[in-house]
Amino acid sequence: MSSLATGVERTTAETPVSQPHVPWYIWCSVAAVTFAIVGTHWDISWHRSIGRDTFWTPAHIAIHLCGVLAGISCGYLVLSTTFNPLSPLRDCSVWLWGFRGPLGAFIAAWGGIAMITSAPFDNWWHDAYGLDVKILSPPHMVLALGIFAVHAGALILILGQMNRATGELHDHLRTMFLYIGGMILVILTIVQMEITQRALMHQAHFYRLLALTAPPVLAGVARASKFKWAATTVAGVYFGMVFLIGRILPLFPAEPKLGPVYHQLHQFTPPEFPMLLIVPAFVLDLIWQRTKGWGTLKQAMVSGVAFVTVFAIVQWPFATFLSSPAARNWFFGSKYFGYYVSEASILARWGFLPLEKGADLWQEAGLAVLTAMITTWLGLQWGNWMQRIRR
Amino acid sequence: MKLKLLSVCMAVAALPLLAHVGSPDVFFEGNAGPYRLLITIRPPQAVPGVAEIEIRSATPDVRQIHIVPLRLGYKGAQFSPIADSATPSHDDPQFYTGNLWLMQTGSWQVQVDVDGAQGPGRVSVPVPALATKIAGMQKAVAGTLIFLGLVLCFGLVSIAGAAVRDAMLEPGKQPDAARLRRSRAVMVITAVLVCAALYFGNSWWSSDASFYSRNIYKPLQLKPSVVDGNRLVLELQNPGWLNRSTDDLVPDHNHLMHLYVIHVPEMDLVWHLHPERGTDGNFEQHLPDMPAGHYALYGDVVHAIGIGETATGEIDVPAIAGTPLMGDDAGGSGPPVAASPARTVSPLPNGYRMVWERGDGKLRARQPQEFRFRLEDAQGKPATDMELYMGMLGHAAFVSTDRSVFAHVHPSGSVPMPAIALTQPDNPHAGHMMMESGLPAEAMFPWGFPKAGQYRIFVQMKRAGEISTGVFDAAVEP
Repeated sequence: MSSLATGVERTTAETPVSQPHVPWYIWCSVAAVTFAIVGTHWDISWHRSIGRDTFWTPAHIAIHLCGVLAGISCGYLVLSTTFNPLSPLRDCSVWLWGFRGPLGAFIAAWGGIAMITSAPFDNWWHDAYGLDVKILSPPHMVLALGIFAVHAGALILILGQMNRATGELHDHLRTMFLYIGGMILVILTIVQMEITQRALMHQAHFYRLLALTAPPVLAGVARASKFKWAATTVAGVYFGMVFLIGRILPLFPAEPKLGPVYHQLHQFTPPEFPMLLIVPAFVLDLIWQRTKGWGTLKQAMVSGVAFVTVFAIVQWPFATFLSSPAARNWFFGSKYFGYYVSEASILARWGFLPLEKGADLWQEAGLAVLTAMITTWLGLQWGNWMQRIRR
Repeated sequence: MKLKLLSVCMAVAALPLLAHVGSPDVFFEGNAGPYRLLITIRPPQAVPGVAEIEIRSATPDVRQIHIVPLRLGYKGAQFSPIADSATPSHDDPQFYTGNLWLMQTGSWQVQVDVDGAQGPGRVSVPVPALATKIAGMQKAVAGTLIFLGLVLCFGLVSIAGAAVRDAMLEPGKQPDAARLRRSRAVMVITAVLVCAALYFGNSWWSSDASFYSRNIYKPLQLKPSVVDGNRLVLELQNPGWLNRSTDDLVPDHNHLMHLYVIHVPEMDLVWHLHPERGTDGNFEQHLPDMPAGHYALYGDVVHAIGIGETATGEIDVPAIAGTPLMGDDAGGSGPPVAASPARTVSPLPNGYRMVWERGDGKLRARQPQEFRFRLEDAQGKPATDMELYMGMLGHAAFVSTDRSVFAHVHPSGSVPMPAIALTQPDNPHAGHMMMESGLPAEAMFPWGFPKAGQYRIFVQMKRAGEISTGVFDAAVEP
């Protein structure tokens, strides 16, 4: 409570900051988001390496901690704001179903309920249709939606504080805001992991899929944060997190506990080397710095073309490198596969699915650019809206 | 999503059929080195899913049992996952249980490694992993999910409204009328988007469910007809299931098909025949003398990957003046099922009889046990001139009187011989007895009734060149 009284809330227009510091519930939300990302990547690696799990694997506990920490912080915020008439957050809260609290707290709480909902749904799904050894299934998407909402809630929670804060506290909150933006990019790439593998990186469809998820995050967070290198920072956070997880996981031993085992392994299988999204993000930052006077639509059109073009220019040859013998090591990680990958698999042969031909190629490439334009526009609009968030 | 939940609760596909009819569990009795084991494997109904393993050791000095699943008949490189340690029972140290994940549809083997005072021993038991049903959703789960789903849907709409109404106000300010109007409009738009998302989710769910339903096992069918007075022609009909074909059948005991013809509903007449496959793909069999009536047909076939199937059919036939039974073909008779609720002695020609050593206990469903049958001479002594019948001491068929269960079982269990051969590629006589003389007059069949009800049991043993068919009845309790 004392942190509430002495923290961000007094950084509103009415009161200067005496002891600027980030309140504990913000740290709690950031920790929740981090646990979710680490836990999710760990869990996927677990399923690729060991296969069999229980409710109490370390990876699952990390994901559960996300819900616990989000629940503690959001529960406290909503209940204290609702039932304590002296709560300093009362004047800067939103109203929902008789409760009061910061908008971000409600969004994160919604995410927590979605995560809880996914558990019995997923359990029944396994009973009915068998264990789904894939990421993209309806119950998994409910979980992913929940995790995403916890991320978005943390983002909005920070934003509400950040937009009311000044000085050093504002900078601290902006750093956290960019970090959460990077984590959102990580979670979205996890959702797309199965359909954006290295073997698909020489297809136009791959770039269309990335155009769907990366530009809105980069544009929205950049526009809301007003930081000139925001997109680069967000993509850098994504790169750093996936790179670290990918380098750390294979240092630990693991052996398959499920069959059939087509690929013998003795360590955790890491995610693939992070995509070079940082390069198009850097170009987008440059564009947005130089097109401040343009309208959102015009910015989005130029940004969409730039994103797809620059990303393809760097990722295409980099995928070739990742499939070469030079990348089959711990650092680049191309030597690691799940235990279920047979020697006949295109992944195990470090191959690529063929590029679309003729009209299909042009259609996919055109759709990739069009998608990037639309999602960038949506991201910029989202960023404009976030700039105005006060509660 | 709610509609989907309800529909799943109400309409559930249920096809409880496997290699046998209505009896998906695998029973196997064999040696793991020096240890005699009775192994029961209950395959999952959904794949990937968990198979339950029960192992009873007849040899008392077992210390530890490890179990591991491996694909059967896979041609590429395959490695073994870490084996599970089976858990010994507190009450019975010779009884072990365990669970194994079968991750793909198809033919598997459970490798059992035993360690004990007599050193190590290993045996592999073939088991098919076939999805047989889509489980329904319990009402409590459905209710919980519907409630949480409603909270999420209305919550999202409310959050969107709050975001527009309050979130952008400076601290202490109240929303004006225009903002309230905008908030309501956004809530309506969000509600539409939520409905669209639910529609998309429902389509996705339906698509996944439809895809999965294509994996549900669909048994082969027999389309029978009688031509030329006494020639039974069986067209093996494939209703289409994954990439199954019927041109990959392999002989089991030297026969491509083992056909049981049972007079129904009385079940008083039975024939165990072995139709030959013609060039047109149909199976043909010259029938013996048969009275007119309705007959149920159960044709056991085995695919090259080791999966056995029972193709079923029914036929009405007129009185048939047939040909004498030859080779491994055999038949027998007994009283109608309704007249013999607990029959344990089956009279045979020449004063011989077959006796079921049933014991006094009640027969329970889902309990693996050894069914012991003895052939006795007119003096009540064990027959001394026993012979192998198709490489076995005997063959047994367990049929529920409602015909929802049929299982053709050998002394080694319910596993087809070609599947056992796949687990022992270096043993040309895998699963078969090699003794030709001094055979015991008793045959034991490991099996378990899958459900309660009335069953008829047909047991066939061979002595002095003749195949004897015993007919028994069993009342099974839950």
